Amino acid sequence: MSTIMQKLDSVKGTVPHYWPIGAFIHHNPLKGFEHLHFKDGVDKAQSIFGGNVYMQPSYYLNLYKEGKINPDLLESNLRDILKSDGLEEHYDLAKKCLIEVNPKWNSLRSTADLNEHEIDEDLLSYLDEKFFYHNKEKWIEKLTKHMTLYEINDILFDRDDKEMIEKDIIEYITRFLDEEQTTITMPNRELGMFETFKLYENFDYAKNSETFVEEALQKLKVKNVEQYLLAHILKLHGWAGFIKYRSEDPDYFSQQEYPSSLMDYMAIRLYFELAYLQHRQINNFELLDTFMQKNSASVILKILQAKGDLPGKYIDAMQEHQNYEQILESYVQDELKLDAKQVHLSSAQLNNKEIALTELAKIMETLRSEEGYIWLKSLEDSYIHAFIDEMKLSEAPKEQRPLASAAFCLDVRSELMRRSLESRGNYVTYGAGGFLGFPIAFVEFDKAHEQFLCPAVVKPGNIIFELPKEAHEEYSSKKIMNKTTKKVLSDLKNNPYTPYIMVEAIGWIFGINLFGKTFSPRKTNRFLSGFKAQKPKTTYTLDKLSEQEIEMYVNKMHKYVIVEALKNSASQEYAAEEIQAIRDHLVFEKDLSLDIPRELLEKLRTKYKITRKDYEYQKNKLKMVGFTLEEKVEYLYSFLMMVGQVDNFAEFVILCGHQSISDNNPFESALDCGACGGSSSLPNNRALCMIANSKDVREAIAQKGIVIPDDVKFMPALHVTSTDEIKFYDTDILTSEELQKFKKVMADFEEASKIARQERITQLPYTNTQEDIMVKSMDWSEPRPEWGLAGNMGVFAGPRSSIKHMTFKNRLFMHSYDAKLDNENADILTKIFNGPLVVGEWINLEHYFSTVDNTVYGAGSKVYHNIVAKVGVFNGNYGDLKIGLPTQSVMLEGKAYHEPVRLLTYMEAPLEAVGKAVENSVAKEFILNEWIRPVIIDKKAKKVYSYESGDFKVIKEF
Amino acid sequence: MISGILLFVLAAGFPYYIFLEKNKRIGSKTIFLVSGFLLLCAIVLSFFIANEHPTSLVVISFLSALYTIYKATKTTNFYKLGYYFIFINAPFFMLFEDKGAFYSLSLLVSLVGIYFIGRFYEKNYGSANYLAVRGVTLATPYLSIYITVYLLCIALYPPFPNSLFFLNYLFSSESFGLWSIVVITLFAGNFFLAMRVMEKSLFGKPNTHIHYVDLTFKEKLLHLSVVIVLLGLSIYGLKELLL
Repeated sequence: MSTIMQKLDSVKGTVPHYWPIGAFIHHNPLKGFEHLHFKDGVDKAQSIFGGNVYMQPSYYLNLYKEGKINPDLLESNLRDILKSDGLEEHYDLAKKCLIEVNPKWNSLRSTADLNEHEIDEDLLSYLDEKFFYHNKEKWIEKLTKHMTLYEINDILFDRDDKEMIEKDIIEYITRFLDEEQTTITMPNRELGMFETFKLYENFDYAKNSETFVEEALQKLKVKNVEQYLLAHILKLHGWAGFIKYRSEDPDYFSQQEYPSSLMDYMAIRLYFELAYLQHRQINNFELLDTFMQKNSASVILKILQAKGDLPGKYIDAMQEHQNYEQILESYVQDELKLDAKQVHLSSAQLNNKEIALTELAKIMETLRSEEGYIWLKSLEDSYIHAFIDEMKLSEAPKEQRPLASAAFCLDVRSELMRRSLESRGNYVTYGAGGFLGFPIAFVEFDKAHEQFLCPAVVKPGNIIFELPKEAHEEYSSKKIMNKTTKKVLSDLKNNPYTPYIMVEAIGWIFGINLFGKTFSPRKTNRFLSGFKAQKPKTTYTLDKLSEQEIEMYVNKMHKYVIVEALKNSASQEYAAEEIQAIRDHLVFEKDLSLDIPRELLEKLRTKYKITRKDYEYQKNKLKMVGFTLEEKVEYLYSFLMMVGQVDNFAEFVILCGHQSISDNNPFESALDCGACGGSSSLPNNRALCMIANSKDVREAIAQKGIVIPDDVKFMPALHVTSTDEIKFYDTDILTSEELQKFKKVMADFEEASKIARQERITQLPYTNTQEDIMVKSMDWSEPRPEWGLAGNMGVFAGPRSSIKHMTFKNRLFMHSYDAKLDNENADILTKIFNGPLVVGEWINLEHYFSTVDNTVYGAGSKVYHNIVAKVGVFNGNYGDLKIGLPTQSVMLEGKAYHEPVRLLTYMEAPLEAVGKAVENSVAKEFILNEWIRPVIIDKKAKKVYSYESGDFKVIKEF
Repeated sequence: MISGILLFVLAAGFPYYIFLEKNKRIGSKTIFLVSGFLLLCAIVLSFFIANEHPTSLVVISFLSALYTIYKATKTTNFYKLGYYFIFINAPFFMLFEDKGAFYSLSLLVSLVGIYFIGRFYEKNYGSANYLAVRGVTLATPYLSIYITVYLLCIALYPPFPNSLFFLNYLFSSESFGLWSIVVITLFAGNFFLAMRVMEKSLFGKPNTHIHYVDLTFKEKLLHLSVVIVLLGLSIYGLKELLL
């Protein structure tokens, strides 16, 4: 028999991880269903979460009318489905149904003139048999499947416990999970989520959360434990996803400090459920079952009413206290009549005289369950065919030496920039995952924490510190000034009395910001930037530290912590030698001849963690700093091989990271680089440039077959996606002669930026000039500073020359790949699958589901968002953590801007190589289960394949 | 005294509680129409006979209004709500004396609007019950505008006519114990009941099980004419208030 932990583990996969909003990670909200085929997965998810998993039929019908869906492909897909259901002979009728009747299906279900229609008796008895209206037990089971006991109680006895229970739960977990948003933090959080909860609720309970959950479930007399745990998880699945993420990421700082687990969360939920139900008439499932058996009609009616399924006529009858059995019977009869009426009206609309109504009902039923997939696949197929018809299927001739080459992130927003740059002259562009296959933990200048700049599925093995390479007094003084001002304002704001005086005395100062940002964002931004501390020129720690250096740094750090700790706690001052002796005593257990209180030593050990364990930890961390020569060469080699840039190097090889800039936007990091964990990808690009420019690396890489001429300079740059500006870094490494040439490159980039902005004016709403685009990035009232990744529909892995002539309007991820450079095991392609493709799939499906049902899978409107615990947003004062994207990111004026399709994954490679890469990749599951649409362009075999229904199908021969 | 009793019987819902409620064959729509008509009669009569009521009648009608408020919280049907609002406001009709007629007239016009809304629901959703038809603002914006206007009128929001006549009375009369209790209680009753309806019908996510239908051109015109009458009453009320 499985334990509670195992039972919880078996259901927790239903909710996806939720990463904190500061480093927004796009993800597939249905990740837990990827072991199933896409179609089955979304159907199952729909039965659990509710909501839509496809767009409405009318949406697809509009695309069909606009010509975006190819009629031949729609016909082919419809025939396939009908064939599998043995209904192929009814193709014409089914097609008419799909196009003419189904989009209006709901409007045919009007109760208004129900009794005016004659209903076919055979049809009525067919529908009666098919549905389980008369099996009340089964009906109740279905209705209450994902409901908790308190929810059912609320419905049956007209209470409001749910509101109170969820409020209490949210209040506790938001305070526990807070990451420094509140001024007064919850004490004792280091004890863990459930232990702190016991103190919070003054709950005297000696055992752990797992035991509590087990006991609570027994008290509630739950029969199906897995299902009940899932029901609880689903109540606030955003919070559950975040707790799940934290508890499964050992590197998450807050989790290390304040441990939490999904089991703790379950215990808290069940604690409140028991507390609120203890005085209720029905407080366990046994009593509930007895009650429901006795009052099945009223139970069904009340649940139907609560779910919004019960028409007003029956609600009236219930409010008038009529007989429930009669009301239910009348409801059932009317529902059957309505079902039948829909078939009748459909038949009339189709002018159907050929087949019986029962037969038509069967066809329509099949179509309704399959239509979403038919339309979606037809739309995708239409794009796939248009793509392969337009792409160049012949080999491209060798190009002359370009003036500069530029590698951009494969992000869809690079497409326009690359196209614009290529139009400026002799430029070659490449695409790769923004982290360049070069995962790093990056500690920014003047910051204490590291950021993992790589896809969320990768853990970096090397740390880079950003250090100043020039004096930075001005930075320091401005920083201190800003910090002090902030502190004073914060103290004034949080004091119970001072806010009143503060508002009167200095409130007007905030008016400058308020009115300035509202009426003249650009000027205000320029004015305020004068007060901000400007980062000095920096460099990165790319070389490994020696053993002595590591020892020295750990020692220094420990001594610094001890000095700071003693400043606050000790009554006397200690000399440098004494500090060293204390440290050696704590870390190496050396004898200590000093007279120092034992409590102080204990405090240094426990609170400040000056221990042997910490010493080892810090040493291991510092060992990760920088790279060995072999690592540097390997990373550079892999990157160049991956994008196929192995010869004919331009004089300037630009590696361009990207980042978005916007104001008052909690979702800003969703617009940053997805392949860098929702952060700027500049550090990866800068570091790789530094590596590529070093002499010893060039010598070593030449031995591996890639000769980079001495006149080639790798230059880092940053593409600001909200404004399409390009900023260059480290230009001081260029000689004056090189700088002159590089100025021409910079000028061309500037022109390319203008071209890109001009094109984006047509895509962004309420934007008429380039200036409007610039203002959007600093306007605090702008909910849509850029379209970001909205519109993404596919990814291409192959040489740029194959699609250089095509325009994608920022809808295609583009990864450069030359299959000729790959080995027999297709290792390069496997790497692309393992990193960029995973990120691409997550981004694509995040957009897909946020569009098809923004309420269930998205974040709703930004207008109502409040930041909570600095980890996410919720609506109003309390609620579930909002997963997914806000409506403003995927919708425009109530209509879908993003066109939801699965990632159309075009790979220009031999079929065999793709097969091997799929087999070796972490993406195998979602590729084979068709959560993306793989298309293989095998130029050698002169065939194009599409992976469908478990097989590679030839869709074009050339 | 007799005229007072007559007006009281017509306006305070007694026929409903004594006769109509007992009869299961009479639907809420009919009761609404009958009650509305009786109130209209009371309004018309009040122009011809003295609208002065003994305190005892005000107290009885106030108790009846309190009971009606309770009943109104148990229904989500526009027709029922319509006549409940008539009975809830009956004490105002008596208490406001000569100004009560205009207050009741503007209430009646708002309720005519509510009646048309109920009829619209009945035609399109099978019943005038709004509970399942939530999220009207997002699904059917025109319908929601008119529901909002009528309910704001009933909730005594200025500058809608009900509130103007109400204010006019407040400013021109002297307060006393019963006056304060009736005015405060019924003001709150009107307000909270109207807000309750708004919360349950206008807001929230539209129900996916329902095919929403918005007003047709003719229906829009019909409601527009009700709103124009309300506007006329508002202008008159404002004039009364300012003079």
